[in-house]
Amino acid sequence: MILGWSTKPGQLQPCSSPSVPVFPAGFCCAGARSRWQRMSTTNNIAQARKLVEQLRIEAGIERIKVSKASSELMNYCEQHARNDPLLVGVPASENPFKDKKPCIIL
Amino acid sequence: MDQTFLAIVFGPCDKCSKEKPLRPVSVKSEQRSYCSLCVEMMATEGLHENETLASLKSEAESLKGKLEEERAKLHDVELHQVAERVEALGQFVMKTRRTLKGHGNKVLCMDWCKDKRRIVSSSQDGKVIVWDSFTTNKEHAVTMPCTWVMACAYAPSGCAIACGGLDNKCSVYPLTFEKNENMAAKKKSVAMHTNYLSACSFTNSDMQILTASGDGTCALWDVESGQLLQSFHGHGADVLCLDLAPSETGNTFVSGGCDKKAMVWDMRSGQCVQSFETHDSDINSVRYYPSGDAFASGSDDATCRLYDLRADREVAIYSKESIIFGASSVDFSLSGRLLFAGYNDYTINVWDVLKGSRVSILFGHENRVSTLRVSPDGTAFCSGSWDHTLRIWA
Repeated sequence: MILGWSTKPGQLQPCSSPSVPVFPAGFCCAGARSRWQRMSTTNNIAQARKLVEQLRIEAGIERIKVSKASSELMNYCEQHARNDPLLVGVPASENPFKDKKPCIIL
Repeated sequence: MDQTFLAIVFGPCDKCSKEKPLRPVSVKSEQRSYCSLCVEMMATEGLHENETLASLKSEAESLKGKLEEERAKLHDVELHQVAERVEALGQFVMKTRRTLKGHGNKVLCMDWCKDKRRIVSSSQDGKVIVWDSFTTNKEHAVTMPCTWVMACAYAPSGCAIACGGLDNKCSVYPLTFEKNENMAAKKKSVAMHTNYLSACSFTNSDMQILTASGDGTCALWDVESGQLLQSFHGHGADVLCLDLAPSETGNTFVSGGCDKKAMVWDMRSGQCVQSFETHDSDINSVRYYPSGDAFASGSDDATCRLYDLRADREVAIYSKESIIFGASSVDFSLSGRLLFAGYNDYTINVWDVLKGSRVSILFGHENRVSTLRVSPDGTAFCSGSWDHTLRIWA
């Protein structure tokens, strides 16, 4: 929630599939279905095809084991730990945000 | 989402050449315009014998199942188990070193300049301010024509800033040091969305901007001409955040949205290459791990999660029973060992990325933390809050 409302401004509702009767492809019955129903079936088919294609792409990518991926993340951390000022802490003289002189309590 | 770009255009159909109301259709990532009759006919033509809506749906379900199976096969161990041999972190003492006061209302977004010193921040009252974080002086200020400026970014050259929000646009303002500078006069409108702008970022140069919007899409724009170079469709609801991959790893970016999904995109083709759906609520913030092999997300479900791109799955969850408020913003320290997360309960939690434990909790803000970024050289991080201030911690 970024604006403090219960929904984001202009939040789109996810598409839910309407309960449209599914006719076999090519079956022509001009009178039995309204034009609107035919068009929304077309939309749904187009969307379903897109989803299937997208899933095919995602299913086909190459993956490695979590153990290998984890150890590589760890190696990166260890290699760069020395150069991480927030991790190892740098002396006040090198950090422009830290005060150089100690506070004197009068 | 095709629906958001559905405007009634009248003209010759690309297929039958008759003058009719046209619908835009993407065919192999090209835009064509067909009349509704041709659209219907093509939809039924292209179908194979048994390809009905039902069969496509069941194929989608089986593909989803296969995806889960493939991911599960490689889930041989947990990240924190592998990380057991790593030394535990000591105590952290991080304090507020500077407080930037001057905004009249909630601070919504901030970004660092590459010079590691200047900061741009934007607020609900429409003001965008450029600060020198060493001295806390304000160097530039501009008032936007809209309120709720939810996104702002510094150009890589340091010579311009971009910002936008409820105006549905992303505008670029060049920064000069003229005496009587009138920033608003030099404003350039670059991006146009059909809903609010939630995030923006320059790519490697001042020439291109990537935007995310409440209209459910992300888009890549050319700054000079304002032309749309690529659009990214796939989120089922508002997109709230985006982050570009570190330049060495290539042309991808990750986005997170109200549909609880984080999606990784190829900037050249506009294709979604990976998507992750394990959060229980809106994803407010995404940030790449410094190596580019993983990214973290912060969500309204009060958790932050780490997703590894090569294992193609979530590998860590950063949560505690005592943390019940959403995480609004996340960023990594330079080495990737620490994850800083700002929450709606006014605190900042510091997590050990590898071990999954919390190493520190920082108090100071008097209202929600809305934005958080680590400086480019990693010496400090800045947080912005609904309490109208920004704080620099080190």
